[in-house]
Parts: sequence; C-alpha cells; structure tokens
Amino acid sequence: MVKQVSSGGQPLTILDGVELTIAAGESLAIVGSSGSGKTTLLSLLAGLDLPTRGEIELAGTSLTGLDEDARAQLRAGRVGFVFQSFQLLAGFTALENVMLPAELAGLDDPQARARAALDRVGLAARLDHYPQQLSGGEQQRVALARAFCGEPQILFADEPTGNLDTATGARVIELLFELNRAQGTTLVLVTHDLQLAARCARRVTLAGGRLQT
Amino acid sequence: MRGTTPAGAFAFALRRLRRGWRSGELLIVLLALAIAVAATGSVRLFTERVRQAIAEQSGDTLGADLVYRSRDALPATLRERAAALGLRTLDVTQFSSVVFAGEASSLASIKAVGDGYPLRGELRLAPEPFAPAQVAHGAPPPGSAWVDARLWQDLQLVPGATLQAGRLTLRVAASVDNEPDRGNGFADLAPRLIVNAADLPASGLLTVGSRAQYSLYVAGARTALAQLQAEPLPRGVRMVTPQDARPELRNAIERAGQFLDIAVLAATLLACAAVALAARQYGDKLRDEIALLKCLGARRAFLTQALLLQLLLLGLAAGLAGAALAYLAQEVLARVLAGLMQLALPPAPLWPLAGATALGLLLLLGFAAPPLLAARNTPPLRVFQRSDDGGASSRAVTLVALATAAALLWFATGDVVLAGWVLAGSAATLAALSLAAWLLVRALTPLRRAAGGRGFAWRFGLGNIARRRAATIAQVTALGLALLALLLVSVVREDLLASWQKKLPPDTPNQFLINIQTEQLAPLKDFFAAHGYADITLWPMARGRLVALNGQEVTAESFPDPETQRWINRDFNLSWSDTLNPDNRITEGAWWGAAGHGQPWLSADKYAIERLNLKLGDTLTLDFAGEQQTFTVKNFRTVDWDSFKPNFFLLAPDGAVADTVPRQYLTSFYLPAARRALLRELITQFPNVTVLDVDALMSQVRGIIDRIVRAVEFIFLFTLAAGLAVLLAAIEGTRAERVRETALLRTLGARTGLIARGLLAEYAVLGALAGGVAAIAAQTLAWVLAAQVFHIPYGPRPLLWLVGMASGALIVAVLGWLSLRTTLRTPPRRVLV
Repeated sequence: MVKQVSSGGQPLTILDGVELTIAAGESLAIVGSSGSGKTTLLSLLAGLDLPTRGEIELAGTSLTGLDEDARAQLRAGRVGFVFQSFQLLAGFTALENVMLPAELAGLDDPQARARAALDRVGLAARLDHYPQQLSGGEQQRVALARAFCGEPQILFADEPTGNLDTATGARVIELLFELNRAQGTTLVLVTHDLQLAARCARRVTLAGGRLQT
Repeated sequence: MRGTTPAGAFAFALRRLRRGWRSGELLIVLLALAIAVAATGSVRLFTERVRQAIAEQSGDTLGADLVYRSRDALPATLRERAAALGLRTLDVTQFSSVVFAGEASSLASIKAVGDGYPLRGELRLAPEPFAPAQVAHGAPPPGSAWVDARLWQDLQLVPGATLQAGRLTLRVAASVDNEPDRGNGFADLAPRLIVNAADLPASGLLTVGSRAQYSLYVAGARTALAQLQAEPLPRGVRMVTPQDARPELRNAIERAGQFLDIAVLAATLLACAAVALAARQYGDKLRDEIALLKCLGARRAFLTQALLLQLLLLGLAAGLAGAALAYLAQEVLARVLAGLMQLALPPAPLWPLAGATALGLLLLLGFAAPPLLAARNTPPLRVFQRSDDGGASSRAVTLVALATAAALLWFATGDVVLAGWVLAGSAATLAALSLAAWLLVRALTPLRRAAGGRGFAWRFGLGNIARRRAATIAQVTALGLALLALLLVSVVREDLLASWQKKLPPDTPNQFLINIQTEQLAPLKDFFAAHGYADITLWPMARGRLVALNGQEVTAESFPDPETQRWINRDFNLSWSDTLNPDNRITEGAWWGAAGHGQPWLSADKYAIERLNLKLGDTLTLDFAGEQQTFTVKNFRTVDWDSFKPNFFLLAPDGAVADTVPRQYLTSFYLPAARRALLRELITQFPNVTVLDVDALMSQVRGIIDRIVRAVEFIFLFTLAAGLAVLLAAIEGTRAERVRETALLRTLGARTGLIARGLLAEYAVLGALAGGVAAIAAQTLAWVLAAQVFHIPYGPRPLLWLVGMASGALIVAVLGWLSLRTTLRTPPRRVLV
C-alpha cells in the first residue's frame, strides 16, 4: 500500500509499497526512526485512516470502500488502543474511561468488566479518580485497562512508554505483555525502543516509508 | 533580565496575541467582546436616534418644536435671535371673548394665527362638524374664521354663516376637526375660534390690560433649537418644549425610554455572559503556558503586565471592530426601519460609540481580567502534573463580576432603580440557575454508569452533563443568562408592551360630556340607555377657589411658582366619591370608602401635592361661589392621566360638599365613528350639554404608542440577534474539547450518529433546563418591572416555563449542532498526533 499526503502543495509519500501480514495472536513491533512513517502505518492498520493506494484487511474484513462509520463499527469490540499521551477523557473517572469501549461495543455489564480490568492493572482503589488526579504511570495503566476491557482481538500500541520514566515504563510494559498473553490478543506495537521491540515475536523496520526486511 | 521588563512584557503580549489569533484561541474572546460592543453600541446609537426623533416628533402636539409664552407681547429680540439662528417662527395670540351669531352668543377662546400655522403637526378642517376632514395649512383668509365643533353647536352655525367678534365680522369658512396644539387640559375648555392675525388690530379686542397669551412658535434644526434654548429667558417669558406639552405624551416618551433601556440592559447582560464564559475558557487554556513560563523564570509582575497588555490590546481591537460594526448595524437598521416607523431619524451622533467602547473596556476589566489574572496562580508544578489547581480565586472573580455588572447596568441605564432591579433579578437568576444545574447533575449521575445497549447515545450525552459537573454548572448559568435576555425580550414585547397598548383599548372613551345639570341626570341616563349605554357613570363636579391653606389666607401671590399662581387663579374642580376609580392609586394614607361619607376630607393628586406642598392633615378652604368649606387632606393619590377617563386633582367623600353648592356633572364614553350622528341627537335634546370630542387626540396618542412599540420591537429584534450570536459564541467555546473527545470516541469504535445523538441530547437538556429557569426568572423580572417601574398591570403566562424549556432546548440544540457539527467529522487519526 501507498500513503501520500499533500504538503505545501507537493505530494509527499509517507509510506511506499508496504506489504505486511500479521497473523492472529502474533505480536509485532514496528520500529524506525522519527518520521519514518510508523504512526501512519499504525493508523492505517487500525482503520483510522485510508491508504492512497492499496488494500488493508482488519480482522478478516477489507477496509476498502468502508466509510468512517463502518470502520468505527468494525473497530468497536475488536480493537484496543494504547497511546503515547494516554488519551483519557478528562471529565470521566477512571472507571468511566475504562467502561467506554465495552459500552460502545454493546457488551454486557460494562461496569463489572471495567472494575475487573482496573483491578487487573492494580487500580481497584482508584475507580473514581479523574485523570488529572493520577500520575502518568497510573494514567497509562487506566489506558491499558481500557484497551483490554472490551477483550479486543487486536491491540494497537503507539509508543506506550514514550511519556513515562524507565521504571514506570517497564512496569507498564510488563503489564501490557501479561494481559496480551492472558487474552491471546494480537499485538501491534510502534516504538523506537529496540529493547521493547525485542520482546515482540516479530519486528519490522520502517525507513523512508519502506519496510526493511 | 531584559525579557521580563515592561517592554519585554509588551513584546510577549503582542506575540502571544498573534499566535493566539492564528491558532484561533483568542478569536472567541475577541468575537464575544466585539459582538458585545456592537450590540450595545448599535442599540445605544439607534436608541439615541429614536429617542431624539420621538422627542422631535412630539412637537406635533405643540404645533412647534419650542414655544415661548408670555402674558405680554413677546420681545422682538427673541424673534430676531431665532431668525438669526435660521429657525422658523410664528406668532400666535390667544384670548377669550364673547362671539355672536345672530341672537346666539358664546364665550370663545380666540386664537389668531399667521401663515405657516402650524409649524409642526397636522391641522385638519371639515366643511362642518363631524364631516370628513382634510389636512390644511396656514391661517384662515382675512375676514373669515375656523370654528370648532363646540362653538358651531353653541351658536347653531351653518357653513358660510357670519360671526361677530369685537368689531370684526367673520365668515365661517370651516370647522376645526383637529387642532394639533389644542392641549387636553380641562382648564382650556372654552370653544375655539381661529382667525387670521392680520384681522386682530382692527378687531379692537386686544387693548392695553387685556388678558391674552402671546406665543412665539419656533421650529427648525435641533442644534439651533438647542442654542436658542440655552439662552436666558426674557423676564416674564416661559418656554414650553414638547416634553412639557402634555402629560400623557410625556408619559409615553418616558415609558419608551424605559422600554428602550430594557433593550440596552438585555444587550449588556448578554455581553457579560459571553465575555465571562469566553475569558474563563481562555484563562484555562493559559494555565499550561503560565506554568511553563514560571518554570522558565517568569516573575508574577511580568505575567500580570503581559496578561493586562493582552487584554488591553484585545479590548481596543474588539472595541474598534465592535464600534464600526455598531455604526454599520444601526445605519442598516435605521435605513430599513425609518420608513416603516414613519420617523425621520436625525444623524447618528458619535458619542454613544465612545460610550459603548468604554463599556466594552469596562466589561473586559470586570469579566475577562479576573479569570485571566487568576491563571497567574497556576503553580509551576503543573508542567509535571495537571492537578486540580483552578478556581482558587473564583469567589473574587464572582465579586468583581458582580460589581462590574452593577456599574455597567447603572452606566447603561442611568436609572439606579431599574439597574438595581435587573441586577437583583439577575443575581437571583444566577443562583437559581446554579442550583438547578447542580440538581440536574445529581439527577443525572446514575446515568454515568448506566449499562450499555439501546439508548446508549442519549445516556452517554446526558451522563456527560453529570461528568462535567463544574462545566455544566457554568454552562447552564451562561446559557440561562443568555436565554433570560432572549426571553425577557419576548416577555417585554409580548406581555409588557401589549399591556401598555391595552391601556388604550379600542373602546377607550373618546367623547366627554360636560356641563350636565343635576336635573338632567335621569333623562340623560335614559337617553344613553336607549342608545345601548347601560352603565354610563356621571361624575359630580363643583368649582371652588382656594382661599386658605391651614387656616392661612392665600392668594396667587402667596406662591412663587408661576404655574401654581396660574392654578390658584383658576377655580379648582372638586369631585366626590366613596369609591376610588381603578385608574387612581393611593400613595399615602388610606382611602376612606363608605366610612368617609359626609366627612370634610380631601384626597389630593400628585400635581396638587407638589404645587401646594401639601402634607397629610393639611386643611384647604375652598370658596364655592360665596360658600366656604374647609377640608382636611386624608390621603395622596397618583392618577393615571392617560386612561382618558374623567379624573380630578382633588376628591372629597360623597356628601362632604354641601347640597347648596352649585354643581354639574360630567361623563365620558366611547362612540364608534359610525355612530357619530348620536352627538347631534344628544345636542338637540340637551342643548346646554357640551360635547368634547377627543377622538383626534386619542388617535394621536395611540399612534405615538404604536410607533414606540414598533421602535422597541425592532430594537429588541436586534438584541435578539446579538443574543443568538453570543449563545453561539458560548457553545463554540467547547469546540477544542469536543474535537479531542470525538476523535477518541471514533477511535474506540463510536459511530458519528451515536456521537451526534449524544451531543444533541446533552445540549437539548442543558437548553431545556436553562430555558425553564430563565423563563421563570424572565417572568418574575417582568412582573417586578411592570409593578415597580412601568406601573402597568401584568398577568403572568403560566405556561411560559414550558415555552422557555422547549425554546431553550431547541435553540441550544440547533445552535450547538450548527456550531459543532464539523467536530463530528474529526478524523480518528487525530488522537495519534
């Protein structure tokens, strides 16, 4: 697939001829330097954006021809996310933030699921705290609980330790892989941290918008 | 460190504004302020022009823009001075004399006019009384006269008949249907004869020592008039302006001013709500930046300077933009409305724009500065952790806002009572809105954790209200205040103005019968009953002259004030009754009712109280054609003089005036135009009864009221548009948060429909709540205004709260949708950037 954007009136190719298949249950790390197109590739794989040319299948469904809403519906209940900047809703408590994907997917008893998920990340005592009342590590653990609460088939993680110190980052990563193992989730991890990438079963490197093999 | 000097602060403020402008952060603050200045400025400009035009227009009832009066011939210098200023002048002489027509004679008030009469207003003549009339100008040709309907009846005239006045023989040329400068006081009841001033010298009617009133009518440009008015009055000369002309007109103009003030207040309130909301949002946005600046070594003084400079630059830019917009808007408004309003508007003065800009700056200081300066308290620690460090000085912010609101309201109206009532009402409304919002948050809290499934979108939206507790309370309060202003517009327009118009309903009496004798009471009642007037009321009246006040003999000379002297010189009209007319209101003391029967008591109207400086318990001795009676003042009244019903400065209880005192009766009734033949029949049957036809006067007053109502409605329409814009600005303030939330929700799998329904549910409920509370507040405020300020009856509309909720839900949801629908298209990849 190819992804081009217009920059200053000129077409700029961000991804060029990328071909990638990720098997169910596999853990894959996408590594590369800043500006190599890692995050763009992640957003295309998750159906957050569409390629300029080429085709993407998510959980066995082609994204070609699907509008924004149809792609959202496909994600609901199947896909989880962990972001570098946590992306928690400020007005929502930890519990409410975690409930959100299960509610959007129409799963039974989202509250019980959210409580269990927060318990698993060690935040059972922080249910009613708002994001601004939590430390960075705690916020990312809430984000992890949210990602796994809907029991997704695929988890996309974008630099999950990018905003955390080494020790906290390490604890969050332990938790991420533990939950991933426990739920048998397919993991797609974007990072520039080679040590972190080494923990994934497979690694691909992006350079200048192309996959290096 | 050079960077933290005032010059550095200025450079930083400029750069910050430029960046803020580019990223759209300050746009809302600027827009809100510009809208506020534009709304207030245009309303004030237009109001000022309408006010001036109305004042000018009411010269119609004076026959001129300005009249000088004197008991002696007016000094020529006055006429020359007016002419030098480019003003038109006209001499009018008025005196009483007996006029003969064959065997018949009558005392007439003769008015001698020259060419150009009247300078203002409309003179209408008819070939004979009650025949179709046409507009006329100038004076009757020399040797002829115009006669009013009463004199026509008294003298049994026919068209072309001959009259004798002094040495003059006059041919009756027309009947006067409407005399613009007639006045409506019962004091001037003698029938009218208008003659050409050129006939006066030969008539021999005016000799040295004759009692006459000499008037100089003046009309022309306002600036020249103002110049003339500013000059000292020659001795014995009195100046009459349109505002002095008639109490009912003065009431109308004063009331128009009050209604227009409400429009200004509504605009001011909207401005406060918009700027407070926008500034708060901007202040919140500044917190990260301030924390960072503090980390980098910025001192508090530097931040204060930089923030205040930003505000000042913003205020100047918004003030200028708003003032320009105000000028354009009022000009467009004036062009569209001038023809419709039948008012020739004077050119727009510039001073209200300076006032509006100053008001904008004051508003900025009171409502924008406190939340922005509060952002200086952000601890530098925030760069590591966003703790809940806001709202520490929210009490100070509220107090400053309240004080500013009070100053603004007073500044906007110049009326402390009106501003006080509106401020008290607004404060109560704010408290009610906050309470209602808090109750709503509590009521909706269970929805935060409600299970998914059907109706999730609605629950999600409503749950959001409870989740953003502080924001909800602030938003409901702001929306409520904006809706209050909009609803107040509706309430004032629909209810108060209608109540005022209803004060002169179509069946308001337009005919007065005076001079009815006691023995005519029964036959007259029978006459009316036979013609379908079953409940005609006849008021008794005796004429008495004031001879003593508190036992001390008084004459005209006992009072320094010329108006009181004139009043004392005339007979007082005293009536008596045990029941108080509904258009009278007791202000001090108590009405006597049946208990007063036969007691020598008096009830005095405001006019009498002021003229004679009366206190309760004072005694007045009146001489009724040689028979003296002393009365004690028991209560004070105000009379609604524009009710067009007979009313009296002095009232006594039934039976208090001795039976031997000569009396007559008077009444008023409504006669439709189609039944005017009834008057002829009445005069034939009761020849001594005088008919006073006030139809023309009433249409004039009704016309002025209608015009003012239209002016106020148009101004309110503009306030309404400004209100909608401010509401939109308030909703726009949540855009950044919505964009972020939408992107995340879509990433997590939410469809557009779900987010849209959630948004609509949230805004509809916020709007309904704010609208409901605002409706109740608007009605309460209207009731207070009606009772305390306008003194008009007000019947509340019980279902207005429902209308308020429905319209609040609709307006806020539609505006929210129009404003924020683009955020629904936020691509989910935004969460990764």
